[in-house]
Amino acid sequence: MARKSSHKPTTTTNKLAPRTLILDNGAHTIKAGFTSSATEPDVNNDCHIIANCIARSWRDKRTYVGSELLDECWDFGELAFRRPVERGFVVNWEGEKAVWERSFVGQRSRLQCDPHETNLILTEAPNAPAALQRNADEMVFEEFEFATYYRTPSPSLNAYTPSPFLSPSPAPGVPLECVLVIDVGHSHTTITPLYNGRPINPACRRLEIGGKTLTNHLKDLLSRKVEVKNEDWIVQEIKEDVCFVSGSSSFASDLERVWKGGLKDPRAVDTSIVVDYVLPDYETVKRGFARPHNPNVSRKEQALGLDGGPREHIVTIGNERFTVPELLFTPSDIGMQQDGLPGTILQSLHTLPEGLRQPFLANVLVVGGSSKFPGFVERLEAELRMLVSDEFVVRVGQAMDPVKNVWLGGARLAQDEGLLKERVVTRQEHLEHGDVWTRRRFAGKVDR
Amino acid sequence: MAAGPLRFRTPHIEELPITQSRQAPGFAWVAVGGPPEDPSKNWGTTNRKRARASAGGQTDAQKEALSARQQKEIERKIRDLNNDNSKDVQIPIPKKEGGGGGGAARAGKTQNTKKILASGKTFAHYLDDEEAEIARTGRREGDVEIVAAPVMMQRPSKTPIARRKATEDSSLDSSPAPTLPIHQGMRPPPVRKPSVTSTVDAMDLDQDEEADRSIPSEAEIEALLSAPPLTYNQARAAPPPCSAPPPRKFCEVCGYFGRAKCMKCGAMTCSVLCKDTHDEQRCLKFYA
Repeated sequence: MARKSSHKPTTTTNKLAPRTLILDNGAHTIKAGFTSSATEPDVNNDCHIIANCIARSWRDKRTYVGSELLDECWDFGELAFRRPVERGFVVNWEGEKAVWERSFVGQRSRLQCDPHETNLILTEAPNAPAALQRNADEMVFEEFEFATYYRTPSPSLNAYTPSPFLSPSPAPGVPLECVLVIDVGHSHTTITPLYNGRPINPACRRLEIGGKTLTNHLKDLLSRKVEVKNEDWIVQEIKEDVCFVSGSSSFASDLERVWKGGLKDPRAVDTSIVVDYVLPDYETVKRGFARPHNPNVSRKEQALGLDGGPREHIVTIGNERFTVPELLFTPSDIGMQQDGLPGTILQSLHTLPEGLRQPFLANVLVVGGSSKFPGFVERLEAELRMLVSDEFVVRVGQAMDPVKNVWLGGARLAQDEGLLKERVVTRQEHLEHGDVWTRRRFAGKVDR
Repeated sequence: MAAGPLRFRTPHIEELPITQSRQAPGFAWVAVGGPPEDPSKNWGTTNRKRARASAGGQTDAQKEALSARQQKEIERKIRDLNNDNSKDVQIPIPKKEGGGGGGAARAGKTQNTKKILASGKTFAHYLDDEEAEIARTGRREGDVEIVAAPVMMQRPSKTPIARRKATEDSSLDSSPAPTLPIHQGMRPPPVRKPSVTSTVDAMDLDQDEEADRSIPSEAEIEALLSAPPLTYNQARAAPPPCSAPPPRKFCEVCGYFGRAKCMKCGAMTCSVLCKDTHDEQRCLKFYA
C-alpha cells in the first residue's frame, strides 16, 4: 500500500484494501465485523457485539477489557464500569485503544485484522465537537494505521439497510430516499432526517435520555427496596427483562392498578403487572428471572430458605416496570426541561419545509437498543398520530435488529465498491493534506 | 368630666360611592380587601403554608416557579442520572501480554497521538472549548461558511436552536394541535414551481392555499443538505410548549401519583401510610 511513499501524488492505484472492518462504536457496545464485496453481509454471523467498557470485579480480582466481559466473566455482581465513551463520543482514547486492541488487533481476539490491510468504517454520534473528530481521525491513521477510513454519523448508515416499509429492498449501496431515523441509544436519543443517505443538519435533534438514564433511574427506584447501588449490570438486566411501555392512554390506569391504596381505602394490587424478580447470586442462580407476584410469602423466609424452597432474593417490581420507560415520552417526570420524544420529532419536522414533512412522517425508522421495550413502537406511533394533523400519513417501523442495524447499513455500503471509494480517505491523503482537509472531506465539503 | 348631658362620639359614617350605579334594594356588593392585608397581622409565622395564604394567595406563575434550591437539587439529580461512570471509578488498564514494543506503543506512535492518549480531558472540557471557539471566531474549525457571526455574545449560548428562533416565530410554541401553523414569516417561502409533477398533486391540498405543500425544488433541498452541522448544544431538544400540562409528581415512597407535599422538605407522597414512612425514614428535615 502506498502509505509511506508520499512522493507519489497520484491516486490512480487501487486504494481499497481487500477487507473492510465496520465499527459501530457505541457507548454501550461496539458492533464490529468484517465484510468483503463478494458475499452478502450476514447480521447474525458476521457482526460481533463487544462491550465497550473496562470493568473491574472485586470478587474475581480481575479487570475485564472489552470483549472479555461477555466471553469470560461469569460473576457480574458488584462490577464497576469505566466507559471510554462519554455522552456518545469517544473522549478517553486510552481506554478505547485498550478495548480496540483487545478486541480485534491482538492475537487472542476473535476478529483479527491487520489495520494496514483493512478499510475502516467508523461511526460517531451526530453533532460532534470538531476537536473530538480530529482526535478520532488522528488515532485511526497515526496510531492504528488503517489503510483507508470513512467516518460518518451513525444514523446515516441506516439509510442503506432494507426498509421495513418497502417490500423489495434496494440494492446494496443505494440509499433510501427519505427516512427519519430515531436512534434510542445508551447515552441519548437522536432524531435525524436523512435524504438520500445524507442528514439534513438543521433538523437534527437530541433528547438527553437514553438507556443509561433509564438504568440509573431504575436503580434509584429499586434502591428503596433492595440495595443495588453498586449493581449496574444486574439492574440493566432487570430493565431489559421486566420493563415495558404502557399504551398511550393507559399510563394512569396502569398506575392505579398497582397502587396499594390509602389509609381509608386499601386496594388489592393487580397481580398481572406486579412481578417478583429473583436476583442472581451467581452461585445457584446464574441469571435473574421474573415470575408472577406471590403475595403470601414472607421475603425474609424466602431469602433464608426457611419456607422449604430454594434460597432466593426477591424484589417485587410494580409500577417501576412502566414508569421507567415513560421517561422517554415525558422527561418532565424527573424534572428534565426537555420535550418528550414525539414533541422532539415535531420540533425537528418544523424546521423542514412543509413539502418534506409528509415523506418523513411516513418513513419513521426506530433503531437502537433501548427501543426494544415491548409497546414502544405502538406508543410512539399513537402519540405522533395525536400530535399531527389527520391529513398526514404516519408510519413508524422498527428495524429487524435494532442493535445491529447501523452495522448492517455500513456493511451494505461497503459492498458497493464504487461508493466506498468515493467516500473514504486514504492514509496517504490524510498525511499529505492534513486533518482539516480530512474533516471537511467527511462533511462532504470537498470533492475528489 | 361629663358636665353636660352624655354625648357619645359616634364614628363618622359616610356612604362611599361604589362602582355600581344601579339602585339596589337595601344592600350592595362592595369590594373588600382580603383578610390580613397589613403585614402587622402576619407576625412572624414560621408556617410557610399560612404565610403563603396570608400574603394574598399566589398567582399561577409563582406556584410554578420552584425556589432556587429545589431547582439546583433537580439539576443535580439529573446530572447523576446521566452519569457515565458510577462513582468515578479509577480502573487501571491491565498490561497486554506480549508487549514487545509495549511501552512505546502504549504511549502513542506520533506526537499527536501521544497527546491524545495522555490527555485527561472530559467531554465537558471539549464542549466548553468548542463554545469558546465559536464565541471567539464565529465559526467552527473546518467550516468554510461563517456560522451567523455572534455580535454581542458574552457567554456561549446553551439554548437549543428551537428556542432561539422562538422570538421570530412564536406560533411554533403554541399548542401542538393538529393543524400545522402557517410559516409565513419564518423564512422566505419556497418558490412556487409551476412545473410540479403529477405525483405531487396528491399532496398539494387545495384547502390550504397559503401553505405550499409541494416537494421543494432540488436547489432548496441541496441548500438544506449542505447546511453546516449544528453544535452539540444547538441540537438539544427544546422544552415542551407552554400549553403542555404541568409536570407530574410522583410519591417518593411507592411511586403512585403524589398528592400531598411534606411541609418541611417538599417531597410528595400519596397517602397517609406513605407519609408516615416518609416522616420516619426519608424526611431530610428530620433533625432540623
